[in-house]
Amino acid sequence: MTSVHGGERDERRREFRRMVGWSAVAHLCVLGLAVVSPRSSSNFDANQVIAVDLVALPAPARSASRPPPKATKAPTPPAEKPPPAPPKPKQVVLPKNAEKDPSKKKVEPKPAPKEAAPAEEPAQEKDLEDLLAEMREDAGEETPSEVPPTTAAAPTGVPNAGMGVQVSPETLAWMRKAKIHVRRAWIVPPGFRTESLETRVVVELAASGAVVGKPRIVRPSGNPWFDEGVVRGIEKSSPLPPPPRAGEWDFVFLPEDAY
Amino acid sequence: MLLRSAFLLTLAILGAGAARAQDRVPVVITPGSEQSYRIAVQRFADGSTPPSSERVSRFRETLQEALEYSGVFQRVPDGAFLGPLSTEALEGGPPIVCSDWTQVGADALLEGEIARDAQGLRVAFRVWDTVRCRDLLRRRYTQTSTTSPDDVARRVADDVVEAFLGVRGVSSTEIAFVSDRSGNKEIYVMKADGGAVRRATANRSINNFPNWAPDGEAIAYTSYRQGNRPLIFLSSRGTRRPGRVLTSDGRSQYRAVFDPTGKRLAVVISNGGASEIYSVGDDGRGLRRLTESRAIEVSPSWSPDGKRLAFVSDRTGSPHVYIMNADGSGVRRLTYDGSYNTNPTWSPDGLWIAYETRVGGQFDIWLIDPEGKVNVPLVSHARSDEAPTWAPNSRHIAFSSTRRGRADLYVIDRDGSNLRRLTGDAGNNTAPNWGPFPR
Repeated sequence: MTSVHGGERDERRREFRRMVGWSAVAHLCVLGLAVVSPRSSSNFDANQVIAVDLVALPAPARSASRPPPKATKAPTPPAEKPPPAPPKPKQVVLPKNAEKDPSKKKVEPKPAPKEAAPAEEPAQEKDLEDLLAEMREDAGEETPSEVPPTTAAAPTGVPNAGMGVQVSPETLAWMRKAKIHVRRAWIVPPGFRTESLETRVVVELAASGAVVGKPRIVRPSGNPWFDEGVVRGIEKSSPLPPPPRAGEWDFVFLPEDAY
Repeated sequence: MLLRSAFLLTLAILGAGAARAQDRVPVVITPGSEQSYRIAVQRFADGSTPPSSERVSRFRETLQEALEYSGVFQRVPDGAFLGPLSTEALEGGPPIVCSDWTQVGADALLEGEIARDAQGLRVAFRVWDTVRCRDLLRRRYTQTSTTSPDDVARRVADDVVEAFLGVRGVSSTEIAFVSDRSGNKEIYVMKADGGAVRRATANRSINNFPNWAPDGEAIAYTSYRQGNRPLIFLSSRGTRRPGRVLTSDGRSQYRAVFDPTGKRLAVVISNGGASEIYSVGDDGRGLRRLTESRAIEVSPSWSPDGKRLAFVSDRTGSPHVYIMNADGSGVRRLTYDGSYNTNPTWSPDGLWIAYETRVGGQFDIWLIDPEGKVNVPLVSHARSDEAPTWAPNSRHIAFSSTRRGRADLYVIDRDGSNLRRLTGDAGNNTAPNWGPFPR
């Protein structure tokens, strides 16, 4: 029995030494990579860097479609509906307008119209955000970000979310301009606006902002027609505002302001 | 082995870290106000014998109206055209110059040919994505001499919608409804945009609840045409035999709804003081009772796979929507909110059930998912909105509303936008039922 226990101890010691050895190797690898890996930006200036915490909100439940967000009137929460009608003992309630005996002439219970019918066509809401951005751009002002300057919203699934990615103010300002520019060209038909879709595209931009080659979909939404519309929107928006650097840039397209 | 695993794990961790370091913060784009593509529709080349400028013009106008009806497109006015106004030839003509179209803001171009001769009507077309400068769709229709050019124009428009949206347009579909414009409640049929209205019944009695067969070749409806008892009849333009469906059953029959195969119908039949839901073959044979209660059970609506039925029961004292299996088993209550819910109708994609709910003294239309987890309003108004029916692409809902005083038919997109009135000032128009895609 002793020899068995002793063998186990020896084996554990050997194993411990091996693990310590590999741990040291791993630490050296990490140190080596940290030393030789390139900096995130060639014009890195610690004084101008803003630490950005990407805050990813919980994703809404994925489904083929979302409930309609717009109603002709403000949605009434079910709980606020009128209380149930007082019970009528032994009286059977026949569902309205359905399978009633049509021979019995229906007495019109509804009052005659007292006022002119309201406009039937729902007013097309102007995109105030775009208008404001356009006015500011025309006036040479910088468009305020939708988020505080030290934070940037990230769509669900974006790596580094919440890890404190560093983005220079110059890049952040360009991203805001690019967003305004691209969303003007991106046509989103009504059918897509309530869908849970998300497309990530890599776009190569020249220093002038012109789109070089074909945008590359790196994460499709699952709806190829939506993805086609995204690529169409990018190509239509070329040239974009000149980026801080020529090269590849990532874009995420969401059909609704869900984040 | 252990050492090797530890080494690989370490490398994987290091690799993942390196990959993360290369990730870029994306530019997040959300939609602006642009909702529709601008499409330039050329005058189609006329290959008719003899040629007819009027036919070509009318075809183009119908096509443009149908494209705009979809809500997906808006037309580029003729005056803005930089490129040719007319198609010279689909094959062998000059190549299109995409910049001519993008410069005037056109996202799409539709070109084509139309020919009417002894063989019938022939239409060929091609739709271009001018931004990416590539053609998305080419198609050719050959129709019999009786086919209306308007019908073909609507089909072309629906094809173009599908090329851009992945979901077929519905301008070529039809809606059956009830109208008292002639003095009696008769069944009528119109195009989905409210055009081409025609009467399907003329028996001068009371007719109600039209319901299309899935092949679009027949309409089942309730009628008093044979006395003072409502019975189910078929109006057929195909192979089905028109006339009464349940010839051997003399009880009152209130409503019939085709199942997705078109071979059976769910029928509401009077059973003593109450009414129950049965199913029966479209030839009137094989009557089976599905609901068993002392309550009133009405308004059946099939799920698109035909395995379940939504219906209304007042078994708890007030009408609510329930779901059961096609054989009547597995009944479960779906709606708990509100005191009066009726007229459920299952969307063709199976995701939603639209229904009426009473709010105060009038009715609104709500949507609920078949599991009952999401329940949201679609149409709310101070006056009643009733009898929802889904377009076959599940993108639109038609309904009847008294918001102008008399009852009119309206259509609205599933997201609550794009409300349009379909009927004019002729009588009260109720009980719409949206037909299938044409074959």
